[in-house]
Amino acid sequence: MTDIVDNSGVEDGASKRYLRTARKRSIIVFVMMAIVAFSVLLDVSLGPGNFPLSDIIDVLWDENSHGVSLSVIVWDIRLPVALMALLIGAMLGAAGAEMQTILNNPLADPFTLGISSAASFGASLAIVAGFSLIPYAGTLLITTNAFGFALLASFILFATTRMRGVNIETMVLVGIALMFTFNALLALMQYYSSETELQKIVFWMMGSLMRVTWSKLAICAVILGICLPIFMWRNWQLTALRLGDEKARSMGINVSRLRIEMLILVSLLSAVSVAFVGVIGFIGLVGPHMARMMVGEDQRFFLPMSVFCGALILSVASIISKMITPGIIYPIGMITSLIGVPFFLSLVLKQRKRSW
Amino acid sequence: MNKIFRFAGVMTAATLAIGMSVSAAVAEMITVTDLAGRVVEVPLDPTRVILGEGRQLYAISVIDREDPFKRIIGWRNDMMRADPDAYEKYTAKFPKGLDIPFFGTASSGEFSVEQAIKLEAELVIFPLGQYESTKELNLLEQLGKAGVATMFIDFRLRPTQNTMPSLALLGKVFNERDNADEFIDYYLKNMKQVFNVVDSIPLADRPLVFVDRAAGITAGECCKTFGSANFGRFVEEAGGVNWGSTRIAGFAGDVNQEAIFTTDPDVIVGTGANWGVLRKGTTAVLLGHNAIKSENDKQIAGLAARPGWPKLKAVQNKRFYSVYHQFYNSPFHFIAIQQLAKWFYPEQFKDVDPSANFKELHDKFMPIDYSGEFFAELK
Repeated sequence: MTDIVDNSGVEDGASKRYLRTARKRSIIVFVMMAIVAFSVLLDVSLGPGNFPLSDIIDVLWDENSHGVSLSVIVWDIRLPVALMALLIGAMLGAAGAEMQTILNNPLADPFTLGISSAASFGASLAIVAGFSLIPYAGTLLITTNAFGFALLASFILFATTRMRGVNIETMVLVGIALMFTFNALLALMQYYSSETELQKIVFWMMGSLMRVTWSKLAICAVILGICLPIFMWRNWQLTALRLGDEKARSMGINVSRLRIEMLILVSLLSAVSVAFVGVIGFIGLVGPHMARMMVGEDQRFFLPMSVFCGALILSVASIISKMITPGIIYPIGMITSLIGVPFFLSLVLKQRKRSW
Repeated sequence: MNKIFRFAGVMTAATLAIGMSVSAAVAEMITVTDLAGRVVEVPLDPTRVILGEGRQLYAISVIDREDPFKRIIGWRNDMMRADPDAYEKYTAKFPKGLDIPFFGTASSGEFSVEQAIKLEAELVIFPLGQYESTKELNLLEQLGKAGVATMFIDFRLRPTQNTMPSLALLGKVFNERDNADEFIDYYLKNMKQVFNVVDSIPLADRPLVFVDRAAGITAGECCKTFGSANFGRFVEEAGGVNWGSTRIAGFAGDVNQEAIFTTDPDVIVGTGANWGVLRKGTTAVLLGHNAIKSENDKQIAGLAARPGWPKLKAVQNKRFYSVYHQFYNSPFHFIAIQQLAKWFYPEQFKDVDPSANFKELHDKFMPIDYSGEFFAELK
């Protein structure tokens, strides 16, 4: 697909301009990456404990250098949570970015279109009824069920696009209908659950990074490691898709195949994040918008930027959630919205031009 | 030269041994079974304890009678919010209670393990209601790894079943067995006083009782009730037929008002506490240590006058009552059971005075004085 670029860069001046913009955008992406890395480090070094940074670094180097308490604080509490914020933020940012791209709609994200609600419902079904979409799931029952239902919602969403005369707007409306349906089913489940099950469901519906374990981190890293390269590989096709289905088709792209592929990956990303940390909304929606405003539509910059924006929002939220009151970790979803919205609005109002 | 080294070695070993035995004496560990059925090692007579729920202080105060805060280095703010009267009473008597830092609840992942470790807690006591969440969060493993013991007690999920073992556990761990035993005897005597009378009452003679959970807490909203748990169980223990027992599978649930009107229960008992802090403009009956009788007479009349309610049998026969909500999470619930029994069977229990008994309980076992109102009746 490289010919899109080559054709547009026939003139010497345009080519230079293009290269200059590209370089500028790469710099923005790299700066963002550095900020995210800094935020994760800050997340590890801050906490109610107020330990000196040098001690933290020692413990990161040698687990037992400052006694068992600090070792537990760094290795069992701070580090896994900080990394989870990074990975989940990245996953939601990527999922939102691709969702907005393939549906060609600024409101699309796994939460607004019901994929996360479906995952939540699948999980609660596993908790209450022990019902599983995938047999012999065992200890992974809750996670696999979440994924199964997320996939189901994606396919209902996709099936509507295959119907004659159905456009992207209809697909978004179907997604919203799905969200309400699964949310209602989820609420209904609460009436059929015992006190103990209810505890689990409610816990599950409230997003929290505190449930992290090293094995969950590994799974998230693997999933990101699978999805991101595929997204990158489809970079040009996805960029072309934003010009409209007709144009993309005329460039030889199999549009519906591309959509199906992306929907499966987006389901995987959002299901795993819902399964591990519960419902954390907003990032999948706003991360990509922030990215778009900073680096534009070109997937080569837009995708990594969305990933970093998502990671940054969640990482900063993680820091704030534990720093307001020592002893209390405020719900991450609440903090995410509180810090994200003002920043997002300031970007929107500053731009004042059509960025979608 | 060699001798000097050997001497130094022996001295070092001796110092280490003494040091270790001293630290062992500081934290002698005992093995107990907690209310989640876990067999756990906990420090005997710990001095640094965090309460996973603030209202656990009711039980702590009959164990550590002189100063319920003496071991507490952290707790949750639920007592301050849901029972401000008791909070005020405890902190007025023990001002240091005001400075004890708050922890979040495990049930939504708000409990900071790091802060617990930093405060060098020896033991965290969680309510059984947070057991599932602590498992999800790996809280128990994280705390255990850092040398902080954990145990569960329960006065809420199965109060009538778990109160005595919870108190016995606290007595054992806090090394105040005598205080615990004395209260357990008192609890048993008071519980059996009701049971021995109502046990022989045939089912046909038992009143149908609707428990209006947190009645009127949000103006204009109706209603929640208990299944065969907590206040639902209290009603059964007091010889009533609990309306929610056959209709609600779990602990508690929402009720359609219409269902109350069509079944027309014999007795209606609402629960209330001072929720003025939590909800402005609440229509609940504000029972508790600072309750004002004249105010609450108005509040309960208001509840009985909700649209459609004046037609109900319970309202017409003035069998419409209100009881202090926080009995539902405290070892003192037998006082509520006595009052319920007295409302159901006034003749059989005419010599029982639950309010006087609650005052006696305060005088005998608690560091704070009795005051206020814990029951209300429609006049």
